[in-house]
Amino acid sequence: MFCLAVTVGAVVVLWPDAFADANRTSRANAALDYIDRQVGGGNSVLPDQAVVIEAQGRIPPDGTFLVAVGERQEGWSELATPDAIATFMRSILLPRRESGDAPWILCFACDRSAYPGAEPVWEDEEGLSILRRGE
Amino acid sequence: MTGRAILGLVALNAGFAVLGLSLLWALRALPRWSDVLRLTGVGYLVGVASFGTVWTQLLVIGVPFGGWAIAATLVGGTVAACAAGLLLGRVPPEGFGDGRGLPTLDLLSLAAGIALIGLLLEALFRSARLQGLQAYDAWAFWVPKGKAIFFFDGLDEQLFTSLPGPTYPPLVPILDAAAFHAMGGVDTVTFHLQYWFLLLGAVAAIAGCLHRRVPAWLLWPSLVLVLVLPRFGERLLTPQADILVDVLFVVGALLLLSWLLDGGSWRLVAAAVLFAGATLTKREGLLFAAAALGVALVASLAWRAPGRGRLLLAALAVLAAAVPWRLWYRSHSIGGEAPTDAGGSLDRVVDSLRLSFDVLFDSGLWSIAPVIAIVALVAAGVWGNRRVAAFLGALLGIVFVGGAWVTYSFVDIPITDVESVNPIVRYTAAIVLLAVVSTPLLLDSVWRGRGSEP
Repeated sequence: MFCLAVTVGAVVVLWPDAFADANRTSRANAALDYIDRQVGGGNSVLPDQAVVIEAQGRIPPDGTFLVAVGERQEGWSELATPDAIATFMRSILLPRRESGDAPWILCFACDRSAYPGAEPVWEDEEGLSILRRGE
Repeated sequence: MTGRAILGLVALNAGFAVLGLSLLWALRALPRWSDVLRLTGVGYLVGVASFGTVWTQLLVIGVPFGGWAIAATLVGGTVAACAAGLLLGRVPPEGFGDGRGLPTLDLLSLAAGIALIGLLLEALFRSARLQGLQAYDAWAFWVPKGKAIFFFDGLDEQLFTSLPGPTYPPLVPILDAAAFHAMGGVDTVTFHLQYWFLLLGAVAAIAGCLHRRVPAWLLWPSLVLVLVLPRFGERLLTPQADILVDVLFVVGALLLLSWLLDGGSWRLVAAAVLFAGATLTKREGLLFAAAALGVALVASLAWRAPGRGRLLLAALAVLAAAVPWRLWYRSHSIGGEAPTDAGGSLDRVVDSLRLSFDVLFDSGLWSIAPVIAIVALVAAGVWGNRRVAAFLGALLGIVFVGGAWVTYSFVDIPITDVESVNPIVRYTAAIVLLAVVSTPLLLDSVWRGRGSEP
C-alpha cells in the first residue's frame, strides 16, 4: 500500500504539470508561422531563415549545392557553426544533394573569391548569399 | 494538406494494427473479441516491428520502397497471416468476455486512468500536429534518413554513409518514410503525429499486457505515472528512436515473462518480433534483447520450464533479423557498434557505475519512480512471487550494468550526464520504463502473498 500511495501521490503532483506543459507547447506551436514551423531547429542555427526559402525556390529538386561558411558574423547564434549549418542545409534541402562541384553555392559570409565565375543570385544583409556558377 | 496527411497517417497506423492482430490471431492469441480489444496495442507494436524488420531486410537487398510497396506489404502480410490461421484451423473470435464484471474499485481506476491518459494524449495530439522539427538528432540524421528512403526509394549510399550516426539501424527512418508516403509528401510538421500514434500504441500495449494479470487499481496509477515523469514527458513526441526502442524492449520483456509463467507460444513469438524490431531501432536494442532472452533462458533452466528449444529458436530468429543491416554498413566501410578501444582504469569502472546510479536516482528526470520500483522489487522478493522478482531484478540489473559498461568501454565518452556527449540518460529510460510498468506485477504478487502467480 505504501508503494501505491506514493505512486498516486506522484501522479497527483506530476500530472497537472505534464498536462499544462503539453497545452503550453500546443499554444506555442500554434502561435508560430508556417515558415518558423518548416525551418524548426534551423531557426537556432541559421543566421537568417530566408536562405532556406530562397534555396528551396531556386535550386531544382534534382539539383546539387555546396555550403560554404566563412567567419562568424556579429549577430549569428553560437550554434551557427560551419558543421551545424551544413548539416541543417543538407537535411532541409533534400532531395537536393550536396556536391563539391555543385553549380549552386550557399554562401554564409564565405570567401567568394574561392568560387571564380560564380555570380550572386540572392543576397541579404547578414552576409548570406546564393551563388550560381556555370556547370 | 494537414487533413489529408492526418487521414493518411490514420490509415497507415490502422494497417500496422490490422497486420499485427492478424499475426496474433494466426498464433491463437485472440479467442474472444475482448482479447482483440485488449491486445490491439500489442498487435499494433507487432505490426510496426514486423513491418520495419521485413523492410530493413528488403532495403538491404535493394528492393525499392514506395507507396504501393508499403500497401502491398501491409495487405500481403495480413492476407498471409489470415491464410496461415485458416490453414492451422483457427476460428474467428467468439463472444466478448466471460460475463464477469469488474469490481467497482477496478472500474473506477480504469475510468480514472483512461480519463487522465486520454486528456494528456489529446493535448499532445494538438501539440504534435503543429510541431516543428527541433531536436538536433532528429533534423541532423533520423529524419534525413527517412527523407532519403522516401525520395530515393532505398538506403541511399551517399546519405546513409555520410550522415551522423551511420551505424544506427533504419527501422525508424523506414517508419518515417512510410509516414511521408501516407501523408502524400514530406510534411515534417504533421508527421510528428506518427510518433503520437506510436505513443498511443505503446500505452495500449502495456495496458493490454498487464490488464488480466493485475487489478486495475494497481495498473493504471503506474501507467499514468510513467507518462508524466519529467524526462518522458518532454521526449514523448520527439521523432527519434529512443522511446520506441524502450517500448519494444519493455513490452517484449513483459510478454516473455508471461510466457515463462503461463506458456502460450504466441507470447514468445510476439516477444521475438518485438525484440527483432528493437535490434533494428537502435544499437542498444541488441543489448536489451540479448539481456531479456538470456535472463529468460536462465529462468527456464532454473524453473525447469518447458519450451527451452523454442526460446533458443526465438533468440536465433532475433539474431538473424539483426545481422543483415550490420553486414550492409560493414560492407560500406562503416565502423562497428562495439567499442574499438575497450577498457579503462578501475577508477573509470567506479565512475561509470556512479554515473549510472546518479542518473537512475535523479529525481529531476524520473521523480520518485525508481525508488517505488525498487521497494516493490524487494517486497516481492521477500513477501511476493520470487520468480517474478528474480526475473525482473536480474533483467533490470543486467541492463543497468550494461549502461555503465557503455560509459566505461567507450573511452572517448566523458563521465557526465550531458546528453550530447554521453547516452546514459537515454539508456536509463529503458530501465525506468521497465521498472515502473512492472511495479504493478510485483505489488500484486505481494498483495496476494508468496508463490502467487500474477
